[in-house]
Amino acid sequence: MSVGFTTSTSIEMVEWIARNADSLDLYGVWVGEDIGRPQDIFTVTSLILLETKRVNVGIGVVSPFIRNITTLARAAAALEEISPGRFRLGLGVGGLQDLASMGVKVERPVESMRKIVEALREIWKGQGRISGKEIALDHYRPQPSRIDVPIFMGVRGPKLVSLAAEIADGLILSGPRQYVKEMIRLVRERRSTAGLAENDFSFVLWVPTIMLSDDRDLELAKRVVAVVAADTPDSLLEEAGASKEEVEEIRTVMRRGGVKEAAKLVSEKLVYEFCVSGDAERICEYLRSYSSLGVDEVIFGPPYGRDPREAIQRVAKAWGGPDADRTQPKR
Amino acid sequence: MLIGLNLNVNDTVPETAAKCQEAERLGLDYIWVSDLPSQRYAPVVAAASASATEKITIGLGLISPFLHSPQQIASSLTTLIEAYGERFELCIGPGDRDQLLRVGVNLDSLNGIPQRLLKTKIEIQESLRKRGLECRIWLGAQGPRLLKIAASFDGVLLNYSSPKMIEWALSLGHKAGGLPTNIGVFAPAYVYRSFNPKVYRILEYASATVALGASRTVLEKFSLSESLEPALRKLGSGSLDSSVLELIPRRVIEEFSIMKSQGDLQPYLDGLKRLEVEHVVFAYPQSYSIETMIELAEALDHRTV
Repeated sequence: MSVGFTTSTSIEMVEWIARNADSLDLYGVWVGEDIGRPQDIFTVTSLILLETKRVNVGIGVVSPFIRNITTLARAAAALEEISPGRFRLGLGVGGLQDLASMGVKVERPVESMRKIVEALREIWKGQGRISGKEIALDHYRPQPSRIDVPIFMGVRGPKLVSLAAEIADGLILSGPRQYVKEMIRLVRERRSTAGLAENDFSFVLWVPTIMLSDDRDLELAKRVVAVVAADTPDSLLEEAGASKEEVEEIRTVMRRGGVKEAAKLVSEKLVYEFCVSGDAERICEYLRSYSSLGVDEVIFGPPYGRDPREAIQRVAKAWGGPDADRTQPKR
Repeated sequence: MLIGLNLNVNDTVPETAAKCQEAERLGLDYIWVSDLPSQRYAPVVAAASASATEKITIGLGLISPFLHSPQQIASSLTTLIEAYGERFELCIGPGDRDQLLRVGVNLDSLNGIPQRLLKTKIEIQESLRKRGLECRIWLGAQGPRLLKIAASFDGVLLNYSSPKMIEWALSLGHKAGGLPTNIGVFAPAYVYRSFNPKVYRILEYASATVALGASRTVLEKFSLSESLEPALRKLGSGSLDSSVLELIPRRVIEEFSIMKSQGDLQPYLDGLKRLEVEHVVFAYPQSYSIETMIELAEALDHRTV
């Protein structure tokens, strides 16, 4: 099990995770980018790598469309150098609204992502000069350093997931259980068709998790689910067994009255579809159940619970019990 | 006078952090972590350097807001300051024209560069202030267009070493409405005890890079245009190599770099002090090795050496 947080998380909490990640016996720490939030994804990730000795550290995910590709390549190379063999880079397209607010329009995400991944690997080889119209490089000479960073993709939809199967080292999944199952099947099928080894690919699951102690935790869970459900494409809502009408109403109220008001419309059924919740043992049991689908690594991600530190400690302890069926991801 | 050393050119992140540690031990006041499209991402290197040290001031820069958005620069500083305390400073400037062009940023196609730099400075400071954070922001400048806005920054780092050029720049700044309180010089440097031709060769390349990208006004004012013409013609859109370097007169190299024996350094610094320069950054290759760093510290007569 790994722990995830985003760039909205306070530095105090980030430092606490960094100080405790090794001793909690976590497999990894993942950092997600909330675009426009105060912390810088690469610098925050470096804090974790600098403070820990053993855990794997990943970015999950960052959008390559809002920064120069060389920035992405240089940042990943620097992070890998801090502690070779522990860093993983996750790429995603980015939230459409976030991109639009920055004036970024991604017209051919599949083709663009393919070119970006290819270019990153070329840059990390540190040889020769690199050019490409789509990646806006013209005889760019990278620093001579042979870096090998595993690339994960945090993407949705069959086309992008198929691309991940073909060119990435892993896929970061989120969404309803049935969707997760379907995407794993799709990746396996694509890799098999392309003659690629199944064992060279990792499936990581990042779903909101919350340890429930009382009704106040449930309120927190409902707020998270309101945001996640509202951002979920209608096609996935069906797979989640969620009512389109219910979610549409949540979206409308969120636009008018904000998350707090929208959360009042979230049913407990919806909470269980979109959020892993319960006491520490129940959370672990539920997360472990994903290994039967093929998930290699699960991420205990925000909001954790009203007391995040206690929640992380308790879930990590419950996960690490002697009978735990601990998944061992490839990297 | 505050003394700084520029890092993050060819070293790995752990090597840079180790050099930062050594700079602190040697009693230097600053390290400046540079950021170019071919170098390691400066904020990550700065974090590693801060993690290895306790009090040395860490400058981020020069950073180009045409490569990183003001929001991205501000968020990097936010994370660094919140994690390691208020010992970070920032230097912004347009950046290396040729290197930026190779990564899709054409400075020649941009209008109002000085105004955009000023806007960036304000946005970053505003963003930090909202979180109750402070950070001194310097302007990396060379020509008259940028010197005109220098007064709106917390400091200006001039990108040449020659006292007569510095004097000219300062008089331009005064005429344009004043200068910031902090005036610094940032130039390729090699202060040595025992001369190493290999390090000197690197200095020549570093200085030539600055000279070839220098403001046209500066080159004309100091009658360097003609001397640089053959090298500029040979360079074309290619790279700086030994065939180009050979065409650059030695005096041009000297105008843009600090190349001194240990004994010659203090008189040079005294001259800068008379011009009210308060900060000197010894840029690469002074940080070529721990040995070259010690050579600088010895020349500065730091008691910790």
